[in-house]
Amino acid sequence: MRTSLIRLIAALTAATVLATGCGSGNEPSAGGRAEITLWQQKFTDQEDAWYRKAVAAFNKAQNKVRLKHVIVPADSWDQKMKAAQAAGKAPDVYTVNYSKVPGFARTGVIQPLDPLIPAGKWTGLQEPVLASVQHKGRKYGYPMLVEPSAVLFYRKDLFTQAGLDPARPPASWQELIDYGRKLTTKDVAGVVTAANQIDMAWSTWGLQWNAAGHLPITDDWSAPRATDPKYRQLLQAYQTLYQEGIMPKQPLAPYADANPLGQGRTAMMVCGSWAAGVLLQDYPQQVGNIGVAALPSFDGDRTKPTATLGGWTLVVDAKSGNAQASADFVSWLLAGDTTLLVEFFKNTMLSKYSPRQAVTEALAKDPAATENPWAKTIEEQVVRYAKAEPAYDWAISLAFGKAIEKALQGKDIDQALQAADAEIKDLIAKNNLAGQGS
Amino acid sequence: MAVTSLRATQVRAHAGAGLRPRRDNRAALIMLAPLLVLLGVFVIWPLLHAVYISFFTWSFYDPAVFVGFQNYLNVLTDAEFAGAVTRGLIFSAIVVPVQVTVAFVFANLVKTVSSRMATVMKVTIYVPAVISEVIAAIVFTLIYTHRGGLLNWFLDLFGIEAIPWLGDTFTALPAIAVPAIWIGMGVASLIMLAGLLDIPETYYECASLDGAGPWTKMFRITLPLMKNVILFLLITGFAASLQFLILPLLMTGGGPVNATNLPNLFILQHFNTDLYVGYSIAAALLLFGVLGAVSALIFRLVRSEKAMDA
Amino acid sequence: MRRALGRTLRYGLAMIFIAAALFPLAWLVIAGFKAKTEVVATPFQLFPEVWRWDNYAQLLADEAFLRSLAVTFFGATLFAALSLVVNALGAYAFARLEFAFKRTIWVVVLTTMFIPGIAIMLTSFIVVTELGMLDSMAVLVVPGAAAAVQVFFLRQFFLSVPTALEEAAQLDGAGPWRIFRHIFIPLSKGAFVVVGATSFLLFWNSYIWPVLTITDPELFPIQQYLATFRSERSSEHALLMAGSTLAALPVIILFLIFQRHIIRGVRLSGLK
Repeated sequence: MRTSLIRLIAALTAATVLATGCGSGNEPSAGGRAEITLWQQKFTDQEDAWYRKAVAAFNKAQNKVRLKHVIVPADSWDQKMKAAQAAGKAPDVYTVNYSKVPGFARTGVIQPLDPLIPAGKWTGLQEPVLASVQHKGRKYGYPMLVEPSAVLFYRKDLFTQAGLDPARPPASWQELIDYGRKLTTKDVAGVVTAANQIDMAWSTWGLQWNAAGHLPITDDWSAPRATDPKYRQLLQAYQTLYQEGIMPKQPLAPYADANPLGQGRTAMMVCGSWAAGVLLQDYPQQVGNIGVAALPSFDGDRTKPTATLGGWTLVVDAKSGNAQASADFVSWLLAGDTTLLVEFFKNTMLSKYSPRQAVTEALAKDPAATENPWAKTIEEQVVRYAKAEPAYDWAISLAFGKAIEKALQGKDIDQALQAADAEIKDLIAKNNLAGQGS
Repeated sequence: MAVTSLRATQVRAHAGAGLRPRRDNRAALIMLAPLLVLLGVFVIWPLLHAVYISFFTWSFYDPAVFVGFQNYLNVLTDAEFAGAVTRGLIFSAIVVPVQVTVAFVFANLVKTVSSRMATVMKVTIYVPAVISEVIAAIVFTLIYTHRGGLLNWFLDLFGIEAIPWLGDTFTALPAIAVPAIWIGMGVASLIMLAGLLDIPETYYECASLDGAGPWTKMFRITLPLMKNVILFLLITGFAASLQFLILPLLMTGGGPVNATNLPNLFILQHFNTDLYVGYSIAAALLLFGVLGAVSALIFRLVRSEKAMDA
Repeated sequence: MRRALGRTLRYGLAMIFIAAALFPLAWLVIAGFKAKTEVVATPFQLFPEVWRWDNYAQLLADEAFLRSLAVTFFGATLFAALSLVVNALGAYAFARLEFAFKRTIWVVVLTTMFIPGIAIMLTSFIVVTELGMLDSMAVLVVPGAAAAVQVFFLRQFFLSVPTALEEAAQLDGAGPWRIFRHIFIPLSKGAFVVVGATSFLLFWNSYIWPVLTITDPELFPIQQYLATFRSERSSEHALLMAGSTLAALPVIILFLIFQRHIIRGVRLSGLK
């Protein structure tokens, strides 16, 4: 009897071990090649497919290392990455947003790439973008693309229905609010934009610059600047839009999701330039109905920034066992031959921009360049004046996002700004940020 | 891992007979070995390690720096942590009484309907308990959609204007409480029913002979005899509702303006975005302290000395 | 007349209970039949314009989805079996054997019941990484198998078993293993069903832990697989609804099969 129980335990253990065996991904490396790992955040199907193709091409192009490619859903990325880093199992190479690079560099999570990628490869890159991947004079990522974080898309057909001129998008915030009032019906929202603190924290960076001419912290990160009265107009605009029901009281979709405009559930939409890709691919019959413009400036000056240049870069983990090979992949993919990159920007319907001159030139020669009817407007009216993403801790951005959200929910604007100011001050003290900025 | 495990099986001490046979260290060791090894490796050691980490500030890369109780101090002086815990308590105060009331009404109802109907009711009330929090979050988010959602469509039939359930600071927390109640009401109802059926029918018969009406019976017999069951449900429900994570994570992300940022979500978001790990671990351990105190209360209040007494 | 009214009232109330329990699920099933844009369409539509099987058909033809269901089923079965063995043996020792440091060990085991998962999420991840268990079935099955709640429940049950039976067996010279095997196992089927079903369910519905430990899409448990339908830049609502329906179906069926035991099991948890 006792033996039968032990046998049962043994059988279970065996089954578990078997199960372990069948799942474990450590197949012997083909031909003695070392293995390095790439984690890519899940984007659209087209982008994911491009990465798959690129990895296969890289594995074919050389025989030193084998690159293992893993796609990680966005909403589990942070958790997974944190846990992997804690256990010393972070991937060798991974995709990361520009805004996170300086923080990672400061805490020693990623390693500088300039010693690993020859100097000649770093030429022809847009200065502001390059600046956003630098920390203490060293480059920690190779910029891949930029996407302005906030562009105004609108439905011309709904403009006409409401008696508005479809060729004349709102030029001031007052106009945007007035248009919104006219466009709002029971089933269609006047405008959709970020509506929660997380989305507002990053999507309004450009508007923060626009409203006050600076971000809510001093350049050297030693003191908060959120109580600048010029920020009131930004919070006021959001408050009016929400309280009057011009923007939906409950988000139709996350900020980055462009579907509501395509489906005609909103007449105007603030979204990143990537929205163009979704609209062109999934709503081709609506393309003629959709117009695009820069967000209005608070003082009417159209040369002030309304967006930041968000975007993605590849970085190498500080503990990577094969840093050179990892950097070689980054260099091969982003700094070498432009064919693959051109394909990337074409696959995403030119809804993103390359910070690298060689790629931009190759794209200009390509006939596909005219496929995105909005690309030129976005480039000339938004990208040209846009700022790089801020390098400070996410918590600082979040503190300001919180202030806008409070305004949205009808709380007192001055109090909201004061609370953000106090919180930023607290964060500076707790994280020793003073003097870390540049 | 088993954040919701308390919900899954709710148990209480039982006055078992105390047989005290001879000592058998060897057999006991073999029988306990798998349990103790697994708990030791996957629960107790990680807990000790977490306590250790909580005294450091650590980015996982640069060497960890010992900071003493600084992380705890940071958590305790953070108004947002206090806010999250308070919110957790309010959330419990919404979820638990409703759940217990629903369970009580349900149990009394089951007693009075035909046995076939009773079976149908018992089965259906338990069905939501097998649904994952992920799926419940998805379904209820759709139901709460502002324009084009089921609930607002239904209210519109009565001329009530659409309400942004998840978008308003006042309605968001109660809106998230509904799926929490929905998921938990099956187990609570069945436990309540079990308690109710254990009251001897003769008590009620005697009371009827004395001319007691249904209300008198309710207040003089049912409620006093059910005191322990109700207390048990209140307290376990409290411990479980303080730990909801997936519902607010998927339904609102903690918004609007932190209105649904419950303790576990608060900790997870810090874990995800902080550059250093000490804060979130310290916060989680403090929450363990709160739960530990509540749990100690469970055993005290249901007077289950037997449970501690091996 | 009053009686009839009371009866109507009671049955009406019963219907409300049943509807409240089931309508969110009904909504889930219906939404699975809608077209991609119909799920969140304005104005609201209760039923789809055309009942389409596309979403369900697409999922049932999707190898990755079916694999995920199979992986989850296999894992949940293994998990239920393992936790049953581990926890029942431990519970029996605490209920019926005398051994050194019994009380201390019992208190330690009990304490683990109240550790919030989130407090040890990171450090248990470090443990499974050190043990090389990442991306395997083992990492899903083994770490959570020992559960103090279940030990507690089973111990309570074993304590309620009358001692007369074992006393007779002890006189015959039976040791603890024989008593466990011949007296306790046959008596405990109901309690075992409860513990097994609870474990199965816990595994089936777990989300946070798999997200951390499983990177290989071939091993995605079902809740993690469903999450891939949602992304920051667009969500497949109708498909998600259909997928959720199909993911909930196996556990509902399982519950219906064992409902008699489970409902009785909840009573067995011994509340008086």
